[in-house]
Amino acid sequence: MIETIAASRCRRCGLVVAPPAPYCPWHPVAMTPTTVAGVGEIVSFTTLHSPPEGFRSPLQLALVALEGGARFLCHGAETRSLKIGSRVAIEAVDEVYYFAHLGAVDRARLFWRRAGHAGDRVNAITRSVVKKLWRGGSGGASG
Amino acid sequence: MRDVWIAGAGMTRVGRRTEGLRDLMAEAAHAALATASIERPDAIVVAAMNPEEFLGDGNFASNVATHLGFADVPTIRIETATSSGAAGFYAGFAQVAAGLARRVLVVGGEKMTHLPTPRVSELIGRSIDPYERSYGATMPALAGLVTRALMARQPIGEREISQVSVKNHAHAARNPYAHFREPVSLERVMSSRMVADPLRLLHCCPISDGAAAVVLTAERTPVRVAGIGQGTDTLAIRHRYDLTSFRATQAAARAAFAMAGFGPARVDFAEVHDAFAPFELISLEDLGLVPPGKAVRATMHGETALDGRLPINPSGGLKARGHPLAATGLAQLVECVWQLTGRAEGRQVDGRVALAHSIGGLATNNWVTILESA
Repeated sequence: MIETIAASRCRRCGLVVAPPAPYCPWHPVAMTPTTVAGVGEIVSFTTLHSPPEGFRSPLQLALVALEGGARFLCHGAETRSLKIGSRVAIEAVDEVYYFAHLGAVDRARLFWRRAGHAGDRVNAITRSVVKKLWRGGSGGASG
Repeated sequence: MRDVWIAGAGMTRVGRRTEGLRDLMAEAAHAALATASIERPDAIVVAAMNPEEFLGDGNFASNVATHLGFADVPTIRIETATSSGAAGFYAGFAQVAAGLARRVLVVGGEKMTHLPTPRVSELIGRSIDPYERSYGATMPALAGLVTRALMARQPIGEREISQVSVKNHAHAARNPYAHFREPVSLERVMSSRMVADPLRLLHCCPISDGAAAVVLTAERTPVRVAGIGQGTDTLAIRHRYDLTSFRATQAAARAAFAMAGFGPARVDFAEVHDAFAPFELISLEDLGLVPPGKAVRATMHGETALDGRLPINPSGGLKARGHPLAATGLAQLVECVWQLTGRAEGRQVDGRVALAHSIGGLATNNWVTILESA
């Protein structure tokens, strides 16, 4: 399932941040609560081999530009087939967010969702994800 | 605003030091005061990023002032993460420029090597946005994200990034104050262990101890502070739209050049914040020292080497002189003063205008300072 991620939007400049913040980083204006769908595109990623205390090595980190506008830092299990621009889905496990490269199973699931609930916003996003995936053929193994 | 001049400069050897931070600061401060021929300043600015957690010491302005023998001199402490030294310089500059004091000692330093590396990494990482930190983000991790984005935007490979390390190590080999005095080969940099993919160990600055100090004065000396500027950005890296240039550097450079009344073309050499080798490439363009997209070419053609057209990091930079956090912004200025006054033995460059660039946090609070020979 596509995750719904809590976020907030600046009334002045439209910036969306996740997780939600009381004020926009650029404007002293209270932000409006909103949500964004947990699908997006890899902006950059790294494998950290000397993580800080409390984390296991190697630690996969990615910055993801979510469809809803916010950029999001999260963990991942695998970055081997990942590229900047790769389509990923974000999933929460015990309230910690992980990215997963959209693979064949994910694509099938996204198609199913499109068939099931035509018209809603998440599905519009899903359609575009699937279209791009099929055109670009960048679907590696699911993370 | 009054003209502000530099009367004296001094620093400790950077590296793994057994002395305490207060002793390191005393060594640097007394060296700076001695070259200024001043026994007692009107005011003191102390720069230290995190002595509370590295050392367990608080009330650090009074702590250092008393240790130096200046219990009766008004002292403040300044902090902007890893650019604290440059921020301290600004505070001292502002006091003299405003006429609040005539002679101000600015001293900065850090002591970290007594702690295990994961602990130091975690403490430095506290300058990162708390949410991003909760995902294990450290400075090398965020720098890894920046580096990968940079390599995707420009035709920059591992070789180009590694050349920055090779150059700065070669400079440091000529600097008796540097942490690393050995040149490194391109092969050694490129085969060093991976820290935060694509960043390798020899792309990253070391953990260093050290202190540096300058004395600022309202009286004319051979070196004038031509301009100083601060630039800022969001604490969280995820709120930025561009990872491959630093807004904070661009804003600081604009402010500093506006104060100086001239542009980057007048700069003869610079000390640039290369905590991670690719940051030197990013910063050269953000500072306007090379045109957009030309940093790699300038580096690969030797233009930024000691004998090049625009020497960058003649001291060896953070990469090889070392990065004792709050000392670094001041150590850069000490190097610029020594270069401008012909006292950089073994690594002397020609020039009348020097620029120092210091990054705080992951480019959240940056400084650019321009010095000019009178």
